[in-house]
Amino acid sequence: MTRRDLLKRLPGGLGMAALGNLMGATGPHHKPRAKRIIYLFQSGGPSQMETFDYKPKVTAMLGKDLPESVRMGQRLTTMSASQLSFPMVPSKYSFAQYGKSGAWVSELLPHTAKIVDDLTFVKSMSTEQINHDPAVTFFQTGFQVAGRPSMGAWVVYGLGAETENLPGFVVMISPGGGGGGQPLYDRLWGSGFLPSRYQGVKFRSVGDPVLYLSRPEGFPVDNQRVFLDTLKRANELKLAETGDPEISTRIAQYEMAFRMQSSVPELTDLSKETPADLEMYGPDVSKPGTFAYNCLMARRLAERGVRFIQLYHRDWDHHGKLPEGMPKMCKQTDQPAAALVRDLKQRGMLEDTLVVWGGEFGRTVYCQGRLTKDDYGRDHHPRCFTVWMAGGGMKPGLTYGATDDFSYNVTENPVPVHDLQATILHSLGIDHKKLTYKFQGRHYRLTDVSGEVVQDLLS
Amino acid sequence: MKYWALIILGLCCAPAPGADAVSFNRDVRPILSDKCFACHGPDSVGRKGGLRLDREEEARAKLGTAQQSAVLDRITSTSNVKRMPPAYLGHERLTDREIATLRTWIEQGARYEAFWSLIPPQRTAGRDAIDRLVRERLAKEGLQASAEASRETLIRRVTLDLTGLPPTRAEVASFVADTAPGAYERVVDRLLASPRYGERMAIRWLEAGRYADTNGYQSDGPRDMWRWRDWVIAAFQKNMPFDQFTVEQIAGDLLPNPTTDQRVATAFHRNHPTTAEGGIVDEEYRVQYVADRAETTGTVWLGMTVGCARCHDHKFDPIKQKDYYSLFAYFNNTPDLGSAYNFGNDQPYIPAPLPEQQAKLDEMERRIAAVRLAVERAEPKERAAQAKWEKKLKADDWTVTAGLAHRTAQEEKFDGQRILEVGGKTAQYNYNDAFTFAAWIRPETKNAAILSRGEDQFEGQGHFLHLVDGKLRLHVIYRWSDLGMRLETEEPVALNELSHVLVSYDGKMRAAGVRVYVNGEARKFKVMLDQCMWPMDTKEPFRIGAGGGQRFTGAIRDVRVYDRALTEAEVGAVVLLTEQGRRDRMRLWFQELHAPERKELARLEDERRKYLVTVPTVMVMQETLPRQAYVLKRGAYDAHGEEVSPGVPAALPAMKPEWPKNRLGLAYWLVDRGNPLTARVTINRFWQMLFGTGLVKTVEDFGSQGDWPVHSELLDWLSVEFMDTGWNVKGILKTMVMSATYRQSSAATPELVARDPENRLLARGPRNRLPAEMIRDQALAVSGLLVEKIGGPSVKPYQPPGLWQELSGGKGYEPDKGEGLWRRSLYTYWKRTVAPPGMVNFDSPTRETCVVRESRTNTPLQALSLMNDVLYLEAARKMGERVMREGGATDSDRLAYAFGLVLARAPKREEAQMFETALRSFRRFYGEHPAEAAKYLQQGAAPQAAGLPAPELAAYAAVSSLVLNLDEAITKE
Repeated sequence: MTRRDLLKRLPGGLGMAALGNLMGATGPHHKPRAKRIIYLFQSGGPSQMETFDYKPKVTAMLGKDLPESVRMGQRLTTMSASQLSFPMVPSKYSFAQYGKSGAWVSELLPHTAKIVDDLTFVKSMSTEQINHDPAVTFFQTGFQVAGRPSMGAWVVYGLGAETENLPGFVVMISPGGGGGGQPLYDRLWGSGFLPSRYQGVKFRSVGDPVLYLSRPEGFPVDNQRVFLDTLKRANELKLAETGDPEISTRIAQYEMAFRMQSSVPELTDLSKETPADLEMYGPDVSKPGTFAYNCLMARRLAERGVRFIQLYHRDWDHHGKLPEGMPKMCKQTDQPAAALVRDLKQRGMLEDTLVVWGGEFGRTVYCQGRLTKDDYGRDHHPRCFTVWMAGGGMKPGLTYGATDDFSYNVTENPVPVHDLQATILHSLGIDHKKLTYKFQGRHYRLTDVSGEVVQDLLS
Repeated sequence: MKYWALIILGLCCAPAPGADAVSFNRDVRPILSDKCFACHGPDSVGRKGGLRLDREEEARAKLGTAQQSAVLDRITSTSNVKRMPPAYLGHERLTDREIATLRTWIEQGARYEAFWSLIPPQRTAGRDAIDRLVRERLAKEGLQASAEASRETLIRRVTLDLTGLPPTRAEVASFVADTAPGAYERVVDRLLASPRYGERMAIRWLEAGRYADTNGYQSDGPRDMWRWRDWVIAAFQKNMPFDQFTVEQIAGDLLPNPTTDQRVATAFHRNHPTTAEGGIVDEEYRVQYVADRAETTGTVWLGMTVGCARCHDHKFDPIKQKDYYSLFAYFNNTPDLGSAYNFGNDQPYIPAPLPEQQAKLDEMERRIAAVRLAVERAEPKERAAQAKWEKKLKADDWTVTAGLAHRTAQEEKFDGQRILEVGGKTAQYNYNDAFTFAAWIRPETKNAAILSRGEDQFEGQGHFLHLVDGKLRLHVIYRWSDLGMRLETEEPVALNELSHVLVSYDGKMRAAGVRVYVNGEARKFKVMLDQCMWPMDTKEPFRIGAGGGQRFTGAIRDVRVYDRALTEAEVGAVVLLTEQGRRDRMRLWFQELHAPERKELARLEDERRKYLVTVPTVMVMQETLPRQAYVLKRGAYDAHGEEVSPGVPAALPAMKPEWPKNRLGLAYWLVDRGNPLTARVTINRFWQMLFGTGLVKTVEDFGSQGDWPVHSELLDWLSVEFMDTGWNVKGILKTMVMSATYRQSSAATPELVARDPENRLLARGPRNRLPAEMIRDQALAVSGLLVEKIGGPSVKPYQPPGLWQELSGGKGYEPDKGEGLWRRSLYTYWKRTVAPPGMVNFDSPTRETCVVRESRTNTPLQALSLMNDVLYLEAARKMGERVMREGGATDSDRLAYAFGLVLARAPKREEAQMFETALRSFRRFYGEHPAEAAKYLQQGAAPQAAGLPAPELAAYAAVSSLVLNLDEAITKE
């Protein structure tokens, strides 16, 4: 029995909510480097070859078949498995080295290029999953089949929240490129078999930012106060009569709901942001529902003590027409993501905030579909891809791991998904092997049965 | 720290070591299982140091005696290197209490016991066992049962429990007034007979059966499984014995001459999520579906976490990996694929007509049979008439024209560049449209395009008829690699000779529905891709001699396109290369003109076919192939290990030889008297439904990591009673709700709450928050909005706009207009990747996997939902109307009425005062701000009753909302 369970059972108003959601099941296992995390998930699988994984040798091999010695019979999606040939295609975009660290960045990401010395690049990510649904589910829940808690749910379950006015785990979604992209699923921020109070709360750009947040029309705050006061007194009577501690929890939850009704509008009120700060995030920042707006919102949520802030930007799935889609996607994300890191830094928050950028897998060096002078596409590639992190105790300016000349296989310091998850949890003060939950007789954890903290990434 | 100790001492269920004999199953096994078995248990591969602690004979030496015990040495060691469980794996030291328990056990001789849930249940008590056993235990604990709940509380409790809806005011009044003996039993009997009972029972089963209206993965397309949902409702309603309920769902299709209903029942195991994501490896997902069936069966019937043995032997329970794949093998013989259809039911599925539809189909069948008989009888006459007709015949220009969409009769020459374009809608087919393409060709090259309606490029989208290396090829392509159909004849077509080629397709999304003829003879063909299941919409024209970037060299004539698949006789009649073909042509010609009965028959058959399209279908289980099953190493779909055949876990009773070795045998085994688990697991779920927590709290796990039953004797008594009475579900529920234990008041003293927070000892009645669907259904019922109608397609009540689009784009969610807004929640359309927020907020499982444990959380989002969701505001508004119209004239009468509607009781004096004060405050506000009242009353689509002044109604709506938000309103007391 955990301490949390014990407190939950205390009668007479000492239930969990009365103490707030402030307490986690385990608390940190060691001194945390990050108090919170902002995860900029790039859904669809951004190409590493057009962003960070510079492969000059491929240029000379345009149109040539990927050597079998590189592919080594590894499985492909059935979308390209029936291709007769695997013509290699280099990045259409030029690369240069930036900063003191000399990190390679493509011309599509000029803003990211300026902050490379604050970033930690992992070039040697790999996953076991080759299709979107299982891959993104694997990345976010540690297992490819639905049913496990998401990373954010694990973290708030373990650590609790730092605020009583907002949920501990917030999710925001922006449509990418052409306004769509691969579907997402509630399970990606769901609580799985953890109690549902740990599920991510979606902050939306249409309607109420939080579902059912607004009072109905014609029911002003004074009415609501009468409503809540009466409700509280009636529920207190019931508590006295039945002795059921759930009632005191319920009373507290109504108060928190009321607080959220003012804390959320305050959160989305940008009138106190300076023009310079707004400008830093780029022109989209004032449009709710864009990645830029969500990045700014992420900083505001971080300031207000939200533990796990998860963004999703959709539409990186460039099977074809990559030269059309990729610049669009980079333009939408480059400046805001870089601005978020700069902004956190200027506020002294980068030290204890971990920012993670990356998708569910990478893309193939060979062309999927027709290769023409101006056009090409890339299929899903789970064997290697790039993720960057910033803050939260990661070594700034580090490029970790490497891939072969074809960006096909990892050649140095492989980082499987469970290792990245273990490292993220470590940064938050959690030992991934100790944050467990017993369900169906088994002690489950985010990293399933594997995962090693990548110590080399940590400063 | 002080209260910590206090609470630990206060916890009732843990044993005090030393005070009593330690029970292996209750006290020791949980410690060994949780702390030791992972490395020293049943899993032979993961076992460390050769030590096995789950078997007495193998553990004996290491357990030793209290004076000399290697096990005790290790667990008490202060050295991090020596201590078990090991520090290097991140484990903590055992608690002092756990060590003391193990020490006592070893002192007492370290006796093992067979695992309780694997020993068949025995009846050890006579009648009225519930109360007797519960009270005996309470007496041992020094506790007393509570008094019976008030009649108001009791009728609300039992009505919610058995029907999912609150009692009406009249029902409450009648029960309170009924002082004759047997009043309560009469209520119980009435509720069990109510049609609402089946609906109430169904919803938990839908969750266990992971029922939903969409496929569940990625683009999460729709499916139609509601006929199964309605089967479940009906089965509970007519009190189908649970053994039959089991057999029909697991293997109804394998019963002798199965009825449609029995086949519909097998949809249980087609409810698992499926994927239509592009690029998946089919076998990987097919295996996942079969695994889901095996694991769901394990959870629902056996309370066993068999999934733990998918990748290795079970760490805690005696289930080997081989056992897992033997169970898996039962479900491995269905013809469904890993890649599912994204736009409706996937194979295999059956029409599942509603009763009135079945009647109509029967009537059609009857008429068709009659006409068919007439046709057969008329045949001799017909032949004679045909002969006469042929003699007089002058013209000879007839050919098959039914469904003919295009014909280019004259010969056209092609030089390898020419394209003959045909305008209009010719051959604008979707993936599921039937067609026939035919032509005479004289090709001069081995690679050519004969005709097409699709992109004029390699691997383009559309319909194509090609020659590839001389072989006749059909391409129906959405995406070249994985979505479409590609097939070619085994033999090439002759070059520089005239040949007739014809390809027909029945539109049923499988290459098995394709026929290929060369010169009128059916040809064998090779299928290269068989995934024709994605819509296409080509803007390209119909082309002759071109398509897919290819051209034709030579001559083509008599190109025909039919909007249907020609029959074999028609093919012969079109090609006209054989005597039979010529005869068929004459016969078809004559029949078209002069055989009215045949025409009538064709018309009726067509009518029936068209009607059948409107009949709902449901995906079912079908045993079509014995497919070899294997142990999959590490659970990987492509890592075949040892071959396995269907079988049940070796630790459980064996199959009887007279049972078939298939799903039907498995079903008989599940409900066999000798099976120690099914009855217990089922009873335990019913107990959970009524008391909030199972007798075994881990309703999904009766294994050694599961919870020890607080009342094991009671669980066994109920299980035996259940089986002895013929698996009578209503009967056993009646036994439970008639017990004094169930009827106790749920009020508790702080001491009792501290002593037994989860009420495992049952010294009081259940007090639990209502499940999601009851909270909504109650609001609909008390407001008078509820539309009661059993079954039918799922409905779409209110949902905040944009929820579907923001995750998956598309058209999004369109709420119903009218009654679909107010049906009971078990009919709500369930999209798995974006489940209905109002349900999930209140802890509904998402239906992505089998869930049997009821979960109840308490969150601010629930408060927001109850206060602000249009559904609850509309209900409050309509309830306000009812209160004003039916509740009398004074404020206090009306408030009492509102309380009665929702809580089945009158307000206490203090409550009445509070609510009157609130009412006056709202009344004052809306009196001063009538425009605000009008706004407040705009919630929802239900029309507003005429004749009620808006400010007054708004005040009553607000008070009604307040009542609906009370903790007591959303709680079963």
